[in-house]
Amino acid sequence: MSTRVFAALVVALLTVSGCGGSSGDSDPKTLKLWHYEGPDSAMGKAWDAAIAKFEEKHPGVKVAFEEKGFEQIQKTAPMVLNSNEAPDILEYNKGNATTGLLSKQGLLADLSEQVASRGWDKLMAPNLKTTSQYDDRGVMGSGKWFGIPNYAEYVTVYYNKDMFAARGIAVPKTLAEFTAAMDAFVAAGVTPLAVGGGEYPAQQVLYQLALSKADRAWVDRYQRYTGDVDFHDAAWTYGATTFADWVAKKYISPESSGVKAEDMGLSFIQGKFPIMVSGSWWQGRMTAGIKDFQWGSFLWPGNKLNAGSSGNQWVVPAGSKNKDLAYDFIDITLSPEIQDVLRAAGGIPISTGGTPSTDPAAKALNDDFDTLAGNDGLAYYPDWPAPGYYDVMVSATQKLITGTASPSQVLDELAKPYAENRANIGG
Amino acid sequence: MSVAPAVDRPSRAEPARSAPPRRRGGGRGGYLVFLIPGALLLLAVVIVPFAMNVGISFTRWSGVGDPVWIGFENYAKLFADSAFWASFRHNVGLIVAMAILPTTAGLIVAAALFDFVGKRFGPRAASVLRACVYLPQVLPIAVAGIVWSWILAPQGGALNAFLDAVGLGALAQDWLGNPDIALYSVMGVLAWIQLGYPVVIFMAGMQRVDPALLEAAELDGASWWGRFWHVTVPGIRPEVFVVLLTCSIAALKVFGPIYVLTRGGPAGATNVPSYFSFQNFFERTRVGYGAAIATVLTVLILLLTAFFLRVQNRREDG
Repeated sequence: MSTRVFAALVVALLTVSGCGGSSGDSDPKTLKLWHYEGPDSAMGKAWDAAIAKFEEKHPGVKVAFEEKGFEQIQKTAPMVLNSNEAPDILEYNKGNATTGLLSKQGLLADLSEQVASRGWDKLMAPNLKTTSQYDDRGVMGSGKWFGIPNYAEYVTVYYNKDMFAARGIAVPKTLAEFTAAMDAFVAAGVTPLAVGGGEYPAQQVLYQLALSKADRAWVDRYQRYTGDVDFHDAAWTYGATTFADWVAKKYISPESSGVKAEDMGLSFIQGKFPIMVSGSWWQGRMTAGIKDFQWGSFLWPGNKLNAGSSGNQWVVPAGSKNKDLAYDFIDITLSPEIQDVLRAAGGIPISTGGTPSTDPAAKALNDDFDTLAGNDGLAYYPDWPAPGYYDVMVSATQKLITGTASPSQVLDELAKPYAENRANIGG
Repeated sequence: MSVAPAVDRPSRAEPARSAPPRRRGGGRGGYLVFLIPGALLLLAVVIVPFAMNVGISFTRWSGVGDPVWIGFENYAKLFADSAFWASFRHNVGLIVAMAILPTTAGLIVAAALFDFVGKRFGPRAASVLRACVYLPQVLPIAVAGIVWSWILAPQGGALNAFLDAVGLGALAQDWLGNPDIALYSVMGVLAWIQLGYPVVIFMAGMQRVDPALLEAAELDGASWWGRFWHVTVPGIRPEVFVVLLTCSIAALKVFGPIYVLTRGGPAGATNVPSYFSFQNFFERTRVGYGAAIATVLTVLILLLTAFFLRVQNRREDG
């Protein structure tokens, strides 16, 4: 090969490999923002209002908003934040496996100083802060602030009021009353629980059952690695065996193992099931979609601890060239005006006070959240402790639904990846 | 090479028209310039990333920060991982669904369209039917997957509703949610998607088969089946090899349908190496382990390709 050909080859290879100049130069007149909330969701509406407010307060600065998918950000954030293409601010998931991992790698800006000077920590209930702070291992609950949430979420029980009334069933106050209500539906030939075994909903039922026998120290050991976790302790054993029992008693259909969360939600909205245990993020869909029957929500009966946490949070990439603008934007999303927009649209604002919602269903949802937050009852989500634990949980609950593994085998399956992750982070 | 007689040789004053023009630079190396774009792309898109992937497979890495060199630890863990072996077992099923079944059925469908429909109803009818069979290949997998997940849904799914309607309600199943049958359901969907590809290739190949051979066989009293098996199939053997090879590779790499239909579930019953690798890369942030899975899968595909090509060459030489 001639020298000329070789030189051409090297130059071309460098070009193709992307070893040229960067295209990610920052523009002080633009705030590059990414988030993945749908335009009709409470958060989407609130943040549209926040963008308008920000541009009004910062004449000459344009917010360049790029709508991303949850999966898109989840899968590519570490690589994107390591590149010149990172935005100035983005919405990101909370927990050890997500914000914790990025903070540990030094990809996120430390927000502690801003939190102190702007008083953001005064706006939220104590256990909403847990998901904002991470230690050097990337474990939540203590250390520096790397994320700022501006809404909250929790697992609640949605119910079809008409179906309850038709059988004279009252809103249950205890787990025994809850199971009695489900027995009444089964006796009438109705499967009581809409469950999505193919995605997150089933594991939340399992976790709620385990939480009924747990305390705050149990949650801290599991979620924050404050001590050893025994997956065959009373709480986990009760959760797994009761879940299997609920399948056997036909509270949960064995055919729900492959059902996606969306299909579960639709089946409830269409009036096919009287009860659905899932997150408060469904509120907007319920309001918009249910036309043929009365519905409402109540807290999972009898639990002091309940799956829930702050919502996803704003993070500022370490490489952001417009950090001050990003902090101003976060400040605006936490302002009473924007938090009221969030509440009015069916979301749960993070800051207390503000104008109560006029919609009774939204008010009930917010009141229940205040009850939980006031009792230090938020226990986060079952898939948080380890990266990839979501799939482990989905697979485990599918086995309980299909009966392909005993509760004890399922708990062994949960224990192994958890222990591996603990070993990896040195927790 | 024969030598031309002296009288035919051109004189120096009169160069032969057929003599190749002299090229600057001389030799065959000049043509290498034209290979540069393709070679560069191959290098940048395939060879360099693969080499990096192999390198990463010897590390513990979460995808950000510095990878930690751990030698063959990922591979040792991989070969002891029951989920990894299960994913390969599932892949065998998918090779049946994506390579063997469509090739077999494709031969029959192509022969029926070519010999029966084409001759009785005209080539246009055969073309329309061929296009219909090929349609699933054109549909985006995300669309096809979602439609199939509706069809196979346990409650309100079209398949169970149909079984109910014809009095076979007892056969209704949770097609994608029951771990005992989910893999077979996925295999069915994949066979449906894949069938059009061999049909199109085989019909094109059948046009190459010398009609005189088929005529002679017919005159000798060979049945349709005899003519098909002893004349047509051997005539399109290269196409059969190509289809088997490409479909087997596609089956080993299959990702989209699994992602859309089952995400490897229920309880890992339909997990395959490519999805398993993806899970480790992006969901478990075990990039080194995911890279080891991807490396093993690549080596396996290369071995399979080499085996197929060797068998094909032997047959052609024989």
